[in-house]
Amino acid sequence: MLQGLGALLRRRFVRWTRAPTWIVAGLLTPLLYLLLFGQAFDLGKLVPANPLAQAGLRSAIQGAPDYFSYFALGMVGMVAVTSALFSGTGVIFDKQLGILQRTIATPVRRSTIFLSELLFYSFLVVLPILIVLGLSLVFAHVPGLVGLSVTEHVGWLGALEVLVAILVLSIAFTSLFLSFGFLLSRPESYFGVVNLLNLPLLFTSNALFPKGTSPGWLQSITAYNPISLAVNVMRETFFGTAYYPYPSYIYLFGLLGWALALSGLALLLASRALRVK
Amino acid sequence: MAEEAIGVEHLEKVYPGGVRAVQGISFSVGSGELFGFLGPNGAGKTTTISMLTTLLRPTSGRALVAGIDVATRPREVRSRIGLVFQDSTADGELTGRENMELAAGLFGMSLREARAQIDDLLASMDLADAADRRVKGYSGGMKRRLELAVAVVHTPQILFLDEPTIGLDPQGRAGFWEYIQRLRKEKQVTIFMTTHYLDEVENLCERVAIIDHGKIVAMGTNDALKERVGGDEVEVRLAAGAPDLTGELTAVDGAREVTRDGSVYHVKTPRGETLVPSLVKACDRAGVAVEGIRVLRPSLDRVFLGLTGRAYREEGYDEGRASSSSAFTPRRGG
Ligand SMILES: Nc1ncnc2c1ncn2[C@@H]1O[C@H](COP(=O)(O)OP(=O)(O)OP(=O)(O)O)[C@@H](O)[C@H]1O
Ligand SMILES: [Mg+2]
Repeated sequence: MLQGLGALLRRRFVRWTRAPTWIVAGLLTPLLYLLLFGQAFDLGKLVPANPLAQAGLRSAIQGAPDYFSYFALGMVGMVAVTSALFSGTGVIFDKQLGILQRTIATPVRRSTIFLSELLFYSFLVVLPILIVLGLSLVFAHVPGLVGLSVTEHVGWLGALEVLVAILVLSIAFTSLFLSFGFLLSRPESYFGVVNLLNLPLLFTSNALFPKGTSPGWLQSITAYNPISLAVNVMRETFFGTAYYPYPSYIYLFGLLGWALALSGLALLLASRALRVK
Repeated sequence: MAEEAIGVEHLEKVYPGGVRAVQGISFSVGSGELFGFLGPNGAGKTTTISMLTTLLRPTSGRALVAGIDVATRPREVRSRIGLVFQDSTADGELTGRENMELAAGLFGMSLREARAQIDDLLASMDLADAADRRVKGYSGGMKRRLELAVAVVHTPQILFLDEPTIGLDPQGRAGFWEYIQRLRKEKQVTIFMTTHYLDEVENLCERVAIIDHGKIVAMGTNDALKERVGGDEVEVRLAAGAPDLTGELTAVDGAREVTRDGSVYHVKTPRGETLVPSLVKACDRAGVAVEGIRVLRPSLDRVFLGLTGRAYREEGYDEGRASSSSAFTPRRGG
């Protein structure tokens, strides 16, 4: 079983390291987001300098010291989605090339095939997220650049909570798109569906826009969006609990629920796709 | 026959759309045998091989592979068999060696345990020099050989080949079969293969089953099948302008039917070789010099036509072991 998992993961990583474009593009995307989006617009500048207006902004961006700090953590959610979009492509192309069929003809367990895809593609989501997070923390100390300023004391436990949130969010979205990889058989259909989901997932979250800018019905959807849940955990840890109705672990549990449900769905569709007909 | 490697009883496959691709076939393959499964497009060859290799669930009937039921214990079957698909399924971005390491891992072998075996196989498939190059740069023949090496990395008891030489030129095909024979000798594997190519079956397989429209229409050794369709034909070529010898040749003991085309005669007979001396003697007696004589064995084309009423290709006889290696389109009527 471990040999099988190792062999499948090795194959994915070898293919990845042999595609420099893939690696560079994957890592450049978050960097561009940070440099272009992040540095270019600062909502704070739109708000008058008087204390009342500033307090309003502070409340809208839920305690973040400035818009960039607010935005940087939202970007984690954005990067999670845009990186996870590719999670189903491995399976889709393996189906097309007959490689999946060849794998099924070996005694390797079907759950091992699923696990190898989940692990590899989750890695491809976690990696750029850590880059975004790390760079924005560094930017705060680079003169001339705006960065992510942490206003709370973040202990080991807080850091661990943030890391767990990132991991769980990555697994949730990887599972979501992996599900479509197992469900569909043509690349065209896959990319169609992925395209359809991409922006709605993002825009029904609080990743980019402050709370209160959207109508009420949308706000209740936003509250349950896994991106929002993950972002809440991070913002609450970094900027304090004052603007949040629940402690951060509640959001973390919600996120965990999503990850369990979505990975369950993916496993179900995988076992259906890998079953002998 | 030694112990049974494959045993199939009343195996049937009806696809969801209602296509009855395999309609209750039964056969058995002995351990160490090279068994040929021959049939035209759509006959049900791939469907059969997919059921035997646990990639497709039989609708009814039973199949034992290495003594194990494919329907109830598929994982155990999978670890004992190797499979070469019709199309190449190696990962082009990986090297030949990496593809073999992947396969070894999937069969539960550790890299350390597989390494020597992989080197051995790459060498015996003449891929040692190309082992660390990416497969996408391999030639068609190299890919087929790699496919074969990958399929046997875990030393299977039974090897399934589904039209393994399709897309190879005659030289590539001959080479491929040499490797197969080498594998048989070195590893004593049982081989079950499907093909469109009659000459491959004729030259390589010990036993043959012919499948058409999902049913086995004939099964047996090559010779037995040929016997059923009426034996050999001897072609006698006389000097131009020689007198008509039809009567003399027909009178030869063992000759069944003689047709004449100018100075060339075709004599039908159950056993060609033994008739040659008598035919030559008959011509001598008539004072006519024989310019050439050859024995034509009936090809499986003829067998196929005789059994199914459909032709595999135009001519009914092959020149002994010569190989015309086109793929065949079945014709109605024949
Ligand atoms: N997945 C499927 N669903 C429905 N019908 C199928 C399916 N696969 C094959 N068939 C049908 O079953 C029959 C047998 O097909 P099969 O692929 O077994 O033939 P074959 O002998 O391998 O042919 P070929 O020489 O062309 O490879 C054909 O009529 C084919 O159309
Ligand atoms: Mg076929």
